[in-house]
Amino acid sequence: MRFRTVVSNSNLFLRVVQSIDKLSKSAILKLTEDKLHIVVITDVDSGLQLWTDVLNNALFAEYRIDSVHNNEIYLEFSIDNLQRALKSAQGALHITLKLTKKQQLPVLSLIIKNQSSTGRELTLTQDVPVRVLTPLQMENIREPMVPDGHVHIMMPPMNSIRSVADRMKTMGDRVAVGANNCGEMRIRVANDLVDITTYFKGLENLNDDPTQSEALSGRRPNDLRPDTKRFFTAVVDMKNFIRFLQSYHVAPKNVICCIIENHALVFYVYIGSTGFGAGSGMINDNCGSLTYFIPIRQV
Amino acid sequence: MTSLTSRVATAANINEDDGPPALFKAKLNNVRPLVNMLRAVGFRTRVLCTISNTGLVFTVDEAQAMVAQSFFRSSLFSSFFFDASAAATDDDHPEYASEEGDGDDGVATQITLPLDKLIECLTLFYGPGSGGNSGSAHGISTSTLLGPVNDLRGATTAELEYKGPGNDFELMLEENGIISACRLATFEPEPALDLEFSRHPVVQQLIMRSDWLRDAFNELDPTSDAVSISISATEPYFRIATIGDNGSTEMTYARDERIVDAYFCNEEMENRYKLSLVLRCRSALAMSDKSKVRVNQRGFLCLQFMIPTDTDVSFVNYIFAPLVSADDEPA
Repeated sequence: MRFRTVVSNSNLFLRVVQSIDKLSKSAILKLTEDKLHIVVITDVDSGLQLWTDVLNNALFAEYRIDSVHNNEIYLEFSIDNLQRALKSAQGALHITLKLTKKQQLPVLSLIIKNQSSTGRELTLTQDVPVRVLTPLQMENIREPMVPDGHVHIMMPPMNSIRSVADRMKTMGDRVAVGANNCGEMRIRVANDLVDITTYFKGLENLNDDPTQSEALSGRRPNDLRPDTKRFFTAVVDMKNFIRFLQSYHVAPKNVICCIIENHALVFYVYIGSTGFGAGSGMINDNCGSLTYFIPIRQV
Repeated sequence: MTSLTSRVATAANINEDDGPPALFKAKLNNVRPLVNMLRAVGFRTRVLCTISNTGLVFTVDEAQAMVAQSFFRSSLFSSFFFDASAAATDDDHPEYASEEGDGDDGVATQITLPLDKLIECLTLFYGPGSGGNSGSAHGISTSTLLGPVNDLRGATTAELEYKGPGNDFELMLEENGIISACRLATFEPEPALDLEFSRHPVVQQLIMRSDWLRDAFNELDPTSDAVSISISATEPYFRIATIGDNGSTEMTYARDERIVDAYFCNEEMENRYKLSLVLRCRSALAMSDKSKVRVNQRGFLCLQFMIPTDTDVSFVNYIFAPLVSADDEPA
């Protein structure tokens, strides 16, 4: 197998990796001909999962990949290592990323070229050890299948939610997140001593599954959306909800929340070519997405 | 302008006319002064809340040797309603400082609330990590207080409501269009510890600027078990000292006009108090401009802190029982 590319947008690459930094120690990188995928699974049964994909041409140039399995390569890596390597590549003149072997062990090598003040070229190489996964191992890592969501709604500004969630996290180990088709969302936590429900209004509902393209153009006729004021709620582990909220360094403008009652909470963050959060309502102009799956609490 | 309660009721699909009418209902344009007054006694998990026409009094005690009370007057609310006729008459009032005075018929209703949770709710919109209960049992430093006491930035408005025994204490908070409805469990009020400070003549009193007292407390050796406080008619007029494993510290101050506003001493006395309990008052001290130090004939110490609130002043009282050593004569 062979993989070699020029990194043309190291800043975007870094920010994607920074977003997943707090979730787990390691992650899986799936390199394909057209996209880069990152998968973080905190706990197969009850934990948060994050599935990220970014179009190669938003990050790379002169991209070359070659493997016996559909030209796909699967690598497990330490998030912290890759993050640090990318940090040191910021502002460089030229960056190459390739899969190679150092001392018999596979590494992703980041070759960073800079120019010193005297004009001489400086080359720095950062090696990120990786574990190559077999296609069979990768087969077992699948995006969770979820039924269609009951409601899709734009999240309120992340700063407000974070503040409220920060207080609520000490009040219970589960949180109920609900929304309706009238732009309202409510978050509730309760224990023996205190019960708090926070209401957000004036949010934008999306009528269709955002993973389908041209999502905004379709409007479901009213008879398929009875009782728009009815709240759909998913009860999830507080820990997972907080993990999701803490996982951005850059506050994206647009996060979509999808509630599948009795099943899961799914959050979609769109990555625009210049950063996170495409312009308001426009999710067509994006080069990638972060999809967070939070299963409901089992008991 | 619809009330917060009716908007929440609409949001939550409740008919707010159900149930008994409120025994107590009040509104605040900004929760910050209330948060500060609660943090001033915020080192315990439970607080006794006394509601009367005068306002709210929050009382905590510790080790049967210290009582702290924070007074939040009804005039500090933008609206205040208390149904005295519906309230159970209660003869056991906690002790009020004479400056407060009741001015009413003494009718009050008492409940015990989870103090840390109450503060967490009120600071819901303060921002991650910067709010919560800064008056933890492990001690507080001035730096954890959020800016000047009268800072009204980013105001959270609140409506408080209590329907009477058997009901939760309800709090409706709003900031920037986001509404939070909180319900706090209420408990049977535990009888307040009464250290009977006012029942004995005050023999020593001085009023000083709080920054002086803050400096003095910062100098004290925290490993010492006791702190001694003496006021005298001759020099040194006021002395605070500790003796601990790390040696002894002593602060003495002259009757300097710049520091001591009012002073009298009818009887010279030196009394010792448990240092860890005395240090509980640092949060209140940090917020106050002036402190009044009084000692009564039995050697009980009362520290009263005057905290600027809105355009006025609010009070927090701390009363400490003296440490009695084995070879003291009984009083």
